[in-house]
Amino acid sequence: WAQQGTVTPEGPRPSHTYKVVLLGSMSVGKSSLAYRYVKNDFRELLPTVGCSFFTQILELDEATVKFEIWDTAGQEKYQSVCHLYYRDAHAALLVYDIANKQTFSRAKLWLEELEKKFLPDEIVIALVGNKTDLAAEREVTTEGEDFARTKGLLFMETSAKSNHQVNDVFMAVGELWHGSSPFIVTEMLLPASPACTTP
Amino acid sequence: MNLKSERRGIHVDQSELLCKKGCGYYGNPAWQGFCSKCWREEYHKARQKQIQEDWELAERLQREEEEAYASSQSTQGAQSLTFSKFEEKKTNEKTRKVTTVKKFFTASSRAGAKKALAGKLKEIQEAKAPSPSIHRQASIETDRVSKEFIEFIRTYQKPGQDIYKQCKLFLDTMSHKRELSIEEQSECAQDFYQNVADRLQTRWKVPPEKVEKAMDEVEKYIMTRQYKYVFCPETTDDEKKDLAVQKRIRALHWVTPQMLCVPVSEEIPEVSDMVVKAITDIIEMDSKRVPRDKLACITKCSKHIFNAIKITKNEPASADDFLPTLIYIVLKGNPPRLQSNIQYITRFCNPSRLMTGEDGYYFTNLCCAVAFIEKLDAQSLNLSQEDFDRFMTGQTSPKKQESDSFSPDVCLGVKQMCKSLDLLSQLNERQERIVSEAKKLEKDLIDWTDGITKEVEDIVEKYPLEIKAKSQALAAIDSENVENDKLPPPLQPQVYAG
Repeated sequence: WAQQGTVTPEGPRPSHTYKVVLLGSMSVGKSSLAYRYVKNDFRELLPTVGCSFFTQILELDEATVKFEIWDTAGQEKYQSVCHLYYRDAHAALLVYDIANKQTFSRAKLWLEELEKKFLPDEIVIALVGNKTDLAAEREVTTEGEDFARTKGLLFMETSAKSNHQVNDVFMAVGELWHGSSPFIVTEMLLPASPACTTP
Repeated sequence: MNLKSERRGIHVDQSELLCKKGCGYYGNPAWQGFCSKCWREEYHKARQKQIQEDWELAERLQREEEEAYASSQSTQGAQSLTFSKFEEKKTNEKTRKVTTVKKFFTASSRAGAKKALAGKLKEIQEAKAPSPSIHRQASIETDRVSKEFIEFIRTYQKPGQDIYKQCKLFLDTMSHKRELSIEEQSECAQDFYQNVADRLQTRWKVPPEKVEKAMDEVEKYIMTRQYKYVFCPETTDDEKKDLAVQKRIRALHWVTPQMLCVPVSEEIPEVSDMVVKAITDIIEMDSKRVPRDKLACITKCSKHIFNAIKITKNEPASADDFLPTLIYIVLKGNPPRLQSNIQYITRFCNPSRLMTGEDGYYFTNLCCAVAFIEKLDAQSLNLSQEDFDRFMTGQTSPKKQESDSFSPDVCLGVKQMCKSLDLLSQLNERQERIVSEAKKLEKDLIDWTDGITKEVEDIVEKYPLEIKAKSQALAAIDSENVENDKLPPPLQPQVYAG
């Protein structure tokens, strides 16, 4: 889409809409992660019915960033149709469960899929090891970080349950997009006052 | 006196009752003081005037558009030539069509001929209309949408006029581009959306929310008019795909919620209500003409699905639950022209709606569901290949194995019948059990009597009845009363004299 001038005479800060896709096996906590992120800042506005599409507005230093978080079905049988979800995505969170090694290998498979569809600077990919509250049952230790480093991904371990580093993941994604990438896809002007629209 | 004043109260001058035009007939306040005849004339005149004015306005806009177009196009000369050629070709085609239709009907029946004649008359009338480019399909809905659009655009003042012009220009251009492939037409539409949005934003400095609103209206206006040319066009194989999907879904009628791991229990009346609503919504999508309205149907359907899951599971649904349920709803509903609708939305919806936002999310889910149904195999239903093949060919049905879960499309009567049969067989079983129990009881009774008899016999055998001699004396008391005679005779009463 055509890139527009970033400053308007009315004065609202430039704002961007980013589509973030959550990928990961079933019950690794994709929905909970998004839910926690959205809920934390806006306690009063909870999604009442569905828990799979969220929007959240993030105020960065230079701009307003609106996240659209798309949850996806994690069952293996839907993997063949999942490419439809991440079409035009700006960021993907590959979520795995640190207490389940299998989910980590599936996250790796997802990365392969993404690498087929996107050029390296088209999309921000973050590897997220969720459920750090289950440290006693940890199965994935340093492999996560090592893997992320070799592939050049963002890496973070989180816990949606105890709200550990959930915000940080999204913040990092937003900043990475805003700061370095020359490839800004959608730009939209939003009112200056932050508002949250949840489904 | 009294009478007089009363009369004055209701007195109306004779002249006031007459028609305002002075034709000598009585007028009527409902007709603004005219008589019926004059009123009709006046009204007609006013209407004609209105119509005339509208035409003038339309023509002026048209001229302006054309001028704008001429100035924007450097290769105008060559273009207009091709356009007139197109126009000519089109009219040729039209007349040819009419004559063939007429021939066809005169050959068949009188009624048919009448119809053809009426059709031709209509054609002539249409041809007589001053501007054929404006006088296109005069369906009621199109008119209503146009009217609403004009009213809406008025609130935007100057930018509104500009948009209106752009839309007219676009529609006109598109009417010459019908021969192009659908992908090219789609590109034109997408470019148009982009241009209008940019114009509003940069040239007219319209705030973003208002741009969004205007874009929705623009989409509604142009797509209501374009619909019949670009929905499921003959140049594509959309229709073939529609039929393929429909057939596929029909072949998969045996798929149960359990196989798809759908987290929805239709036993709960509220949930089954939601399921029905979701199916209605997804079917309704086909009846809408505007891409965004179609999207709204999908969103409504999705909300009902979320509700159904929430009631069943008692917690908000995640995407892990949602997609399987959507697949199940699509399988159950078999919505008409599914592929055509998806293609149409993809090609002609305002891209900012489709790529982002909640509507876009649900639409993507629907695409995933359809893609999944097309690829669905034994593994994705957790079945063995043999079972899957047998179900697909209709040799067996999974319903027989698990009588509890009826296929949802079975009608209520059949369901009731199956339940009754089930109850009957249960009853039968119980009766058999009773008979066997009764037989057992009978046998037990017989055995018991036998047992008792035997026991008694045993006892009798063990302790035989022995009659002992001792008791002989006692017995003799009655039998042998020999010594009685030896007893003295009883005392006789004696009389003493004294």
